[in-house]
Amino acid sequence: MKWFADLFGLPIANVTPATARTEITDWDSLGVLTLMAALDETFDLVVDDADMRAMKKVGDVLDLLRKNGKIT
Amino acid sequence: MRFLFVDEILEMEPGRRIRASKFISPDEDYFHDHFPGFPVVPGVLLTEMMAQTAGKCLDAEDAHRGKAMLARINVASFRDWVRPGQTAVIVGEVRTSRSQFATANCHIEVETRTVCSAELLFSFVVMENFAPGYRDEVLARFKASQGPGASGRVRTP
Repeated sequence: MKWFADLFGLPIANVTPATARTEITDWDSLGVLTLMAALDETFDLVVDDADMRAMKKVGDVLDLLRKNGKIT
Repeated sequence: MRFLFVDEILEMEPGRRIRASKFISPDEDYFHDHFPGFPVVPGVLLTEMMAQTAGKCLDAEDAHRGKAMLARINVASFRDWVRPGQTAVIVGEVRTSRSQFATANCHIEVETRTVCSAELLFSFVVMENFAPGYRDEVLARFKASQGPGASGRVRTP
């Protein structure tokens, strides 16, 4: 969670798994690229465009990391 | 005013690393304002030099995904002034290169001293968006200097 908050420059108190993409101003098209690059470089996880578009909230990103064994 | 901030590619491994140079002419217009009596290259232009240099390295790797365009400056720091008459050697190291984005760590050296550095994120714009026949003249000149069939790590004589 802290990783995600840091990536978008948000206070960690403002980020929960339920936080929607629409609530995070910087999670726009550039934010998507930023997130893809961060997942790639931090977790060695290459995410395709369709998977990225399907993410609607922070929990979706965490689920993807869990599904790929990157976090528990 | 042209917006070319790379004179020459000195060495390049497409999609991996690049070294290029830019002579800082004392005649540059911006020195009139930046600053009177204390002319130094603006940090935004140093950043542009790094972006153009790393962009050429990415463009040389895979032209099909489009032209690399600066999308985000993750981190940038400026440690020393760059002055008229100096030559900047711009170094780019590609960290990640995918079909939709790329990242690169870049820095600029002047007389072997690192004067600034940046971590950059690139996206790609398909070539159909540019003028017909558009090509990167610096990259084309470098490729021509390597001769036909050159590939992999290439270096100017």
